[in-house]
Amino acid sequence: MLGMLWTLVSLTSCEKKPNKYSAYSFDYFDTVTSIVGYAASQEEFDRVSSEVLCQLEEYHKLFTIYHRFDGMENLCTINELKDGAHRTVTVDRRIIDMLLYAKQMYVKTDGKVNIAMGSVLSIWHDYREAGMDEPWNAKLPPMDQLTEAAKHTDIEHLVIDEKNNTVTLTDPAMTLDVGAIAKGYAVEMVAKSLEKQGITGYVINVGGNVRVIGQKGDGSPWTAGIENPQEDEREPYLAYLSLTGQSLVTSGSYQRYYVVDGKRYHHIIDPLTLMPSEGFLSVSIVCQSSADGDALSTALFCMTPEQGKALIESLPDTEAMWVMADGTKITSSGFDRYIVQP
Amino acid sequence: MNQNNTTMPTAKSGGRRFRNDVIFIAALLAIVALAGLFVFLFRQPGDTVVVTIDGEHYATYSLNENMTVPIHTGQDGEQINVLIIRDGQAHVQEASCPDGICAAHKPIHREGESIVCLPHRVVITVHSTSEQDAPDIVT
Ligand SMILES: [Zn+2]
Repeated sequence: MLGMLWTLVSLTSCEKKPNKYSAYSFDYFDTVTSIVGYAASQEEFDRVSSEVLCQLEEYHKLFTIYHRFDGMENLCTINELKDGAHRTVTVDRRIIDMLLYAKQMYVKTDGKVNIAMGSVLSIWHDYREAGMDEPWNAKLPPMDQLTEAAKHTDIEHLVIDEKNNTVTLTDPAMTLDVGAIAKGYAVEMVAKSLEKQGITGYVINVGGNVRVIGQKGDGSPWTAGIENPQEDEREPYLAYLSLTGQSLVTSGSYQRYYVVDGKRYHHIIDPLTLMPSEGFLSVSIVCQSSADGDALSTALFCMTPEQGKALIESLPDTEAMWVMADGTKITSSGFDRYIVQP
Repeated sequence: MNQNNTTMPTAKSGGRRFRNDVIFIAALLAIVALAGLFVFLFRQPGDTVVVTIDGEHYATYSLNENMTVPIHTGQDGEQINVLIIRDGQAHVQEASCPDGICAAHKPIHREGESIVCLPHRVVITVHSTSEQDAPDIVT
């Protein structure tokens, strides 16, 4: 539990009503985690937030593709080759459930969310890292390398044995990258566990995957402001939303990128073009599950607004807001019912 | 006696009024003093910028004072983010982080707005006491 701090954010009243506390961590999913909650005391908040961080740590260790840990199989060890082939790996049930969910989302999003794209995404990852280390030397991955890697992204080669909790990748050149769903999935699992314990009045935010648990300390709904990435004094927030128990996930092209010849290249790669998807500044999803929100925000980034709208309108209690490259906003038909006036 | 009798009531009532006035003024002074004490005890610190490094509180600055703050991180303080507070706004002027995303972030001044430097694990957040309608969550 390194790198945690509990700050008393506000003490606005001397009445005995719950106070608002917050904590940050940088230890999970290569992003920043923030926990905000209403509690009767610092101790009570610390107890809940350290449980949240402990659970996030477990999911992080299971789902990371960049680190292996002694004595455990995770996504990183599933990706490893032995004698030129992938092993059949017996894994924690939580990995099986997440992979089954990912396969469902592949079908739902017409292949836009494909966790079998590891080979392509790792090339982008390496070029992005190198380009950030030496910005003067930043390069784009060669397209022939990307198209060669893309031959090994068929999710049918991810074989899951639900009975025995085993995973096999039957294409030796294929690897998994769960970056598009792991954060949201983990946040949802943690939120559900808090709800089961009857805990309310908390918000978990892992790198833009916001999940609200119950109402605020005074019983009113939470208000969420979706930041305008562009500098505009008249419109600092693109939308004010009222949330009780939902998730709000925003994927933005401004969140993670590197610069080649003065042009930004962000991290959401379109499976068709194998290039960062163009056309949007951000896509926000409001829905029940933060796992769905994470997957859908990635999927919509790689679709036209028309395609995305058709997908969103087909799903119950799911709404979206697209912010186009020029700053114009598009919303799905029911998005307005979450909007409140500041 | 008569004179006294005739004057006493007025003098008496005059004295009562005077005493009432004293009580009234004393009460007023007490209320003012209490209000002053209340304001003193619960005074608003004004808008501030809170800097945390790896989740730990590092410093709090007033958003109303212009200043330049070099934030050093890393093992030997070799990493830097230069925080500028000017005209009630905070921004990162330059940073040694590889992505430069913090330095590209627009200036912040609203309650809950933040600039994050992921590589350096720095979070810069505005805490505004004057803003009533600020959202609870900013994303
Ligand atoms: Zn930075």
